[in-house]
Amino acid sequence: MRTLQLSLAWLLPWTFAVPAVGLAENPAYLQLEGANLAQGRTIWLGTCEGCHGYGTAGAPIPMEKDDWKDRLKKPQSLLYQHAIEGFYGPDDTMMPARGGNTKLSDADVKAAVDYMTALAKHYQQFSAKP
Amino acid sequence: MQITLNKKWLALGVAAALTTTATFVVAVEDAANKPMIAPKTMADALHLVMDSDRTVYTRKIVNRLAAKEKVITASEHFDDEKALVLPAQMFRFGAEMVAKRAEKLPDVNFSYSLQSLWPVNTQNAPKTDAEKAGLKFVAENKGKNFYTTEELGGTNYFTAIYADTAVAPVCVSCHNDHKDSPRRDFKLGDVMGGVVIRIPLES
Repeated sequence: MRTLQLSLAWLLPWTFAVPAVGLAENPAYLQLEGANLAQGRTIWLGTCEGCHGYGTAGAPIPMEKDDWKDRLKKPQSLLYQHAIEGFYGPDDTMMPARGGNTKLSDADVKAAVDYMTALAKHYQQFSAKP
Repeated sequence: MQITLNKKWLALGVAAALTTTATFVVAVEDAANKPMIAPKTMADALHLVMDSDRTVYTRKIVNRLAAKEKVITASEHFDDEKALVLPAQMFRFGAEMVAKRAEKLPDVNFSYSLQSLWPVNTQNAPKTDAEKAGLKFVAENKGKNFYTTEELGGTNYFTAIYADTAVAPVCVSCHNDHKDSPRRDFKLGDVMGGVVIRIPLES
């Protein structure tokens, strides 16, 4: 019984920490709380999802635990830098600067990175598969 | 210890070994020619090889040497500019070579091509109803493939269509800026066309 209580106690904070799940717009991707993540989601859907939603050209998919396990250990500032300036991966994969959308500001790209890393953190805990 | 072999038993042993070997060879030949692979599995396997080869070329040749190290460029006009061929051109040249070589191999009867609803070259537009429906489907249902059968010239074919996606800025800029391009609003990650694989359903 004590084990069950401990398990429930561990889960409780997560029920609040886990993002609010909404079904508006594109139900395939979680809506996360906060203006920055809401803005990031809109930018991510417009520019990043085309590759990161499907693993196109080796793009890491936030819903895939293994794709992000090691990336999430890197400083957020490095992920910002890679997304803004572009980046060549160790296997010669290529992340184009600003996802190929030159109209995005640094702040826009950072918000999209924040949304994607928040998604990835979520799916480190919860499976994307039903 | 002395081992003695009776000639009769030795002959029997040799005969048994030869029979076993011959049976094994016949069995392997039978298995090699027995139709066991479903057309869809065959098409998926072919596409896996094509897509992997093209990805390796894009990453290890174009990305590494042209985009990252900048020791050579990649261009549609590769001959004039002494440049690397674009990944889509490499894919198309491969399809053309397969078609030519397959003419001499009657048992190897399949074809593949890179087509688009918005082709820079009108020769690469879909022609059959299946091609048109499949290219529309993969463009509207990202991440899904299209499979159907069609009859062409009295032969039934299994036709599979796989999305061809813009994976690098050069794909987008080439199509959006090309004078002959009928569509100029592509962005990275968009489906630009499809790989059509066609396999006859009877010999």
